[in-house]
Amino acid sequence: MLMFSYLMATGITTGAFYALVALGIVIVYKSTEVVNLAHGELFMVGGMLAYTLYVMLGVPYLPSLLLAVAGSFVVGILTERVAYRSVLKHGLASVLVATIGVSFILKGIARYIWGGKGDYLSFPPLVSPEPLQFGNIMIMSQQLVVLSAAVVVMIGLAIFFRRTRAGKWMQATASNPKAAQLCGLRIDRIYMYTFAVGAAVAGAAGVLMAPLTLLYPDVGFVLFIKGLAAAVLGGITSVPGAVVGGLLLGLIEQIAAGYVHSSIQDLVPFLVIMFALTFLPTGLFGVRGLRKI
Amino acid sequence: MSLGALVGNRSFLTLLFGVLLLLPAVANQYTLFVGNLMLIYIILALGLNILVGFAGLLAFANAAIYGIGAYGTALLQVHLGWSFWIAAPVGAVLAMVIGTLLAFPALRLSGIFLALATLAFAQATQWVLWHWQSVTFGAGGFRTPAPNFSWLGLHQDYGIYFVTWVVTVLLLMFTWRIMRSRIGRAFVAMRDGEIAAQSLGIDLLVYKAMAFALSSFYAGVAGALYSGLLGYMSPEGFDLFQMIIQKAMIVVGGLGSVVGSVLGASLLVYIMEFLREFKSTQEIVFGVLLVAFMVFQPHGLVVFMKRWLPGWEEPMHVSDQIAAKLPGPGAVLDGAVSGRKASAEQT
Repeated sequence: MLMFSYLMATGITTGAFYALVALGIVIVYKSTEVVNLAHGELFMVGGMLAYTLYVMLGVPYLPSLLLAVAGSFVVGILTERVAYRSVLKHGLASVLVATIGVSFILKGIARYIWGGKGDYLSFPPLVSPEPLQFGNIMIMSQQLVVLSAAVVVMIGLAIFFRRTRAGKWMQATASNPKAAQLCGLRIDRIYMYTFAVGAAVAGAAGVLMAPLTLLYPDVGFVLFIKGLAAAVLGGITSVPGAVVGGLLLGLIEQIAAGYVHSSIQDLVPFLVIMFALTFLPTGLFGVRGLRKI
Repeated sequence: MSLGALVGNRSFLTLLFGVLLLLPAVANQYTLFVGNLMLIYIILALGLNILVGFAGLLAFANAAIYGIGAYGTALLQVHLGWSFWIAAPVGAVLAMVIGTLLAFPALRLSGIFLALATLAFAQATQWVLWHWQSVTFGAGGFRTPAPNFSWLGLHQDYGIYFVTWVVTVLLLMFTWRIMRSRIGRAFVAMRDGEIAAQSLGIDLLVYKAMAFALSSFYAGVAGALYSGLLGYMSPEGFDLFQMIIQKAMIVVGGLGSVVGSVLGASLLVYIMEFLREFKSTQEIVFGVLLVAFMVFQPHGLVVFMKRWLPGWEEPMHVSDQIAAKLPGPGAVLDGAVSGRKASAEQT
């Protein structure tokens, strides 16, 4: 029972992180119907920027977090303007190919700047590395930081979509681009900000997670696949679905790792994606009747 | 027939394969290796173009299936002591079977979801190659025995080269024929409009499975030959970057063009080899190539060939009207009515 509660605790904390990655994917998919395959690399770029500011230049943590998120936002705008905007009119398949091209450009640039293969940058922990004790369960305090930050980002996104004009524009464009355009919204610009907000969420996830995962240029893809599994499980168009999908994926992973074999953890996202796409095409929270496949 | 008609795709292919046939007479070991690699990538690009360019199924599993063909061939030799000449066909067929099995759950999906499922499959294959150490020897890789060519009367150094040359030419001719046959036309019809294709009596399930089977077979053959060429296997050669290289080849050459696959593969192998030492530059260059062609010329180099060379024939190449097969938000931007959006709006 002790092991089970330990697995649950770890599952929820890693799951919150997967939810954060999934949120970025969902935000972009919701309004553009594109899955940004460069999302993992935007995550990596956010982490690397924070590393540069915090470790190499000695900027305090909070400003470096904000600057890194702003930096990812700018990278998101750049990728949309340079690569995606003119490809969007050729159809989704072309955009998908363009996003994977962008992901390798970002990865190559990161490898060029922040070191070659096998160079792992370790981000110093923000809080004391001593694990905290809750009853019988031990939790790394950094995991709690990630968990609470993930909750903050989720609440922030909910407020952004419910209360701000920009959030409403994005929702309007997502639900009916043509009508939104008729109402005078510049939907090409809204697509640009959508990609940028997705990138900023990825960057925030990267900064928060950096002390737990080491940073290296290839870190993005594995986490992207996990975030994708969480998003697909939650029905890829739903923000609460992404959160629940992330937590569920974290728990499934931990249970598989604890009771089957620890290395099987990385196979779980594939199984979840195949299962969800085949048997649960609308996900747990997807809109029924919407033909997605 | 005017003289200009001679300057076209047939003379390009004759010239390319003629030079490649004579290469062993003049080249050193390294140049020969690059030539051999070029032939293998031509096979890969042909297979991927059948799936993506002709049948219009965007999948990311080709590199993984290439790896399955290569590992299958190598492991049958190492674990069971089979000869290369038995292991290679079995490895290729194994890749084809796995690729076709993958197709069945994937066939329920279309567009972006097919791409995501195959991406996850590629990641899972990498996981198996890394972690199933008792069979695949894990991250460190392993040596494979050199194939024996003495019964063909070929010198050891040139054996795999000539075998690859013959296989590539046979597969190229096969592709050329089959893409102009009923099957190829059915693929193109399916790509351009699934409902229209169905109304013409094309069974989508059968033809999609056939596209997957064909392309996996090509990838498997290429993998088998690669294991014979290299004599060493490690999982890194079959990762996502490998997929990007192959994808860049068909995009640069021309989606939906047989000769375009050959063109793209032969050009990009040079760039790949030229930058072999610089992983980050390689990634940037191939990423930029993909994005640049998607932005400026999504139909590839064959468009220029068609324009400039009078004898260049491209019967099945994707045309502008049908390129927007999956209408995205851009279709809305252009004011076109998007079927997918429209159906979503009705609900």
